[in-house]
Amino acid sequence: MTTAVQPAGGGGATGHPSSSGLADVIDTILDKGLVIDAYVQVSLVGIELLTIDARIVVASVDTYLRFAEAVNRLELSDTEKQGLPDLMENMQSGGAKSKTKGALEAAGDKVRDVLGDGQERQTADRRKDDRR
Amino acid sequence: MTSTEQQPATYVYGIVPADVMTNRETRGVGDPPGQVSIVRVGDVAALVSEVVTDRPLGKPEDLTAHANILDTTAAEMPVLPMRFGAVLASRDAVAEELLREHHDEFVNALHELEGKAEYVVKGRYQQDAILEEVLAESEDAAQLREAVATKPEDGARNDRIALGELIYNGLAAKRDADTRRVIAELESLGVEIAPLDPTHDEDAVHVACLANLSAQSDVESLVGRFADEWEGRVNMKLLGPLAPYEFVVTERQE
Repeated sequence: MTTAVQPAGGGGATGHPSSSGLADVIDTILDKGLVIDAYVQVSLVGIELLTIDARIVVASVDTYLRFAEAVNRLELSDTEKQGLPDLMENMQSGGAKSKTKGALEAAGDKVRDVLGDGQERQTADRRKDDRR
Repeated sequence: MTSTEQQPATYVYGIVPADVMTNRETRGVGDPPGQVSIVRVGDVAALVSEVVTDRPLGKPEDLTAHANILDTTAAEMPVLPMRFGAVLASRDAVAEELLREHHDEFVNALHELEGKAEYVVKGRYQQDAILEEVLAESEDAAQLREAVATKPEDGARNDRIALGELIYNGLAAKRDADTRRVIAELESLGVEIAPLDPTHDEDAVHVACLANLSAQSDVESLVGRFADEWEGRVNMKLLGPLAPYEFVVTERQE
């Protein structure tokens, strides 16, 4: 194992961010980070996420049909701006601007959410007076 | 641990400078969650917790615990994130096989990361807006759309597939162009950049960067500028500070 600080080179893990912070977490951490050679010394606790691994964005006939359908419905939305409820998934209404602000806070929220059950936020503090 | 089947092992979250402290209540992966503690060797330390290996990890709580511990740490100090699921036989194994064995390279990598964290810029197209944009720019798509609309539901399957493919490809081209613009702007901040694969059909932008914590407001306002410009078109989102998952790699030595 040799460690280097450099871009890992393209994304590998992919999930399907259809909700909440979990999708972001999956996108962010799955298959990322240092790998220990010594892994083999313990038969690693398995990971139940193999199904998610397979959910890479791949174009298929189904994808195309879904987009065709979306375009078809678009016509309706010309008159009735509320359209596409089932395809909109987690697209919230409201401007991107407020969305960004929300998201900036969301990074912190995610942390709080995870620790929501009364735990402290701070995982690790730097012990300034006790270097070893 | 009384049961012989429940082999305890030591889960490793990441590598940090030895002057780390953990909060007693920080709970890690596993069920019940292990208490996070520290194994120190020289100038480096590992954030660890006990796990039993009788059942697989990978519940949402495990993933969020792993990410949460690393991300809260990253906001305070450099951290080298381990891949989710990294387990060694014992605390001794962590000390000897991981920390002592790789002490100097960890020190160097942590030094490089001092004061920095990862930020992920995400943009998601607003579906109706981007579809209209693609349709407006593609005569073929607009014509196919007409053809599909005037035929009965199941009679136009091939046209529908062709239309969907045109839209899909048009959207992919938009994604490439928009991603390039965001990357160019990020580059002007002098941050290190790692483009990420899209994780959704309607992703507009998915880019990680390694920025100084002190430059966070620059990254925020950059994302804010795009959010303003693309209002009603792309929902922008910034995640961070995160542990540098995209920037710490294990170099393969053959």
